[in-house]
Amino acid sequence: MLYPTELRGRVQICNMVPYLDALEQKSVKVASMSPVESDEDLTRKQRREQARADRKAMEEAAAAAIVRRNRLTQLGVVGAIVVVAVVVILIATSGGSKAPPKVNSPVAKGNDAAVAQLLTGIPQSGNVLGNPTAPITLQYFGDLECPICAKFTLGSLPTVIPKWVRTGKLKIEYRSLSTATGNAEASGAEPKEIFKDQQVAALAAGKQNKAWDFIETFYHEQGEEDTGYVTEKFIQEIAKQVPGLNLSTWTADRSDPLLTTQVTATDAQAANNNGFTGTPSFLIGRTGGAMSKLEYTNPEDPTFINEAVEKLLKE
Amino acid sequence: MSSRALRITLIVLTLLGLAVASYVTYVHYAGIKPACTSGESCTKVQTSRYAELEGVPVALIGLIGYVAILLTLLAPDGENTRFALAGLTVGGFAFSAYLTYRELFSIHAICEECASSAVIMTIMMCLAVWRFLRGEAPPGLAATSAAGQSAAPDPAAPLSSAS
Repeated sequence: MLYPTELRGRVQICNMVPYLDALEQKSVKVASMSPVESDEDLTRKQRREQARADRKAMEEAAAAAIVRRNRLTQLGVVGAIVVVAVVVILIATSGGSKAPPKVNSPVAKGNDAAVAQLLTGIPQSGNVLGNPTAPITLQYFGDLECPICAKFTLGSLPTVIPKWVRTGKLKIEYRSLSTATGNAEASGAEPKEIFKDQQVAALAAGKQNKAWDFIETFYHEQGEEDTGYVTEKFIQEIAKQVPGLNLSTWTADRSDPLLTTQVTATDAQAANNNGFTGTPSFLIGRTGGAMSKLEYTNPEDPTFINEAVEKLLKE
Repeated sequence: MSSRALRITLIVLTLLGLAVASYVTYVHYAGIKPACTSGESCTKVQTSRYAELEGVPVALIGLIGYVAILLTLLAPDGENTRFALAGLTVGGFAFSAYLTYRELFSIHAICEECASSAVIMTIMMCLAVWRFLRGEAPPGLAATSAAGQSAAPDPAAPLSSAS
């Protein structure tokens, strides 16, 4: 059977050629024009059926190929949109370094006024804000670069300080726990060094009983996390904004090894003992008594502190 | 893999991802510490500034994504739902890739929950894309396309209906 094989061969060639539909129809025509070669009706019918089946298979294969190509295009469009979206997110979350406000700039003066209003008249001693004999003590474990600490400091403390600290019922101890600073990627210097420097700078201001002025000012002017904005210059700018701080004494006190020990050993150890890994973390209790962990859901809502203080006052 | 087995595999993976995303979202809103075998790294990741996108926790975005994926899997199997699933998983994969980049290069810590979600999403994307491009035709679609083919010999006809 020469002819069907030849036809099949042609059909296979057609298979590789685009617009196979038209070509393939031509070859079918040729077949019908040579009736001489046919043996009998049955084989002709079989041949025709074979040809039809081949054609159908080809059509289906071609259709499937086009469907696949269309699907690939559709998916490619989705992929392109997704890539663009990710690039936008990357850029949006990378955030350039935000320069802190300059000393004496309107923004800095606004911050200074807010801090002064909050703290003036409240006794301070070292890292403690409030009456030393206050019945309740709150320990605030923070990192000056931690944005959630800033949320707490700017959101909750303006309620807590006038309500409980100014009235002599509560004192707040600021303690150090490295979180955001230790995570920093962009800082040129070693994150651990920066953390120590900035926290010790606050405690050095505490030697002049102005630690909380430094801490509050720092949180008010906190920059974008991971941008390496905390430099020696930044720390000095914050100190310059603390009213009445003797800068040369402060500079000398920054090298006091006891302050470094407080930050890197005492506070870190206390945080570790309590299982604190995030900031802000809190311990609260009657002054001189046992302290217990204070959990919160929203750092900007002072209710968790209010409730804990009220409960302890009733004890 | 039969289209039924593939769909069931995808549903199981989605439920796993949904469980992880729900847990992390819960942890985020409850303000508690996530379960973590590698010390503080999970907390570090989940309290970092990359844990939220414009104020929306990324865990919640993941949760919504998995719910959307589950819905497309539970909808009748067909060209459109397969495309939707492939699109969603490609998106999910890209988002996971972004988050993993942030973990490795910005936060320098890995959160186990995030890593498991990323692995689940990667497997799902491979399966969903393969299913959309080359998977065995869904039972409903196979019947209709065969009918379309015999009714119209022009090969363009069933294609235009498919695209």
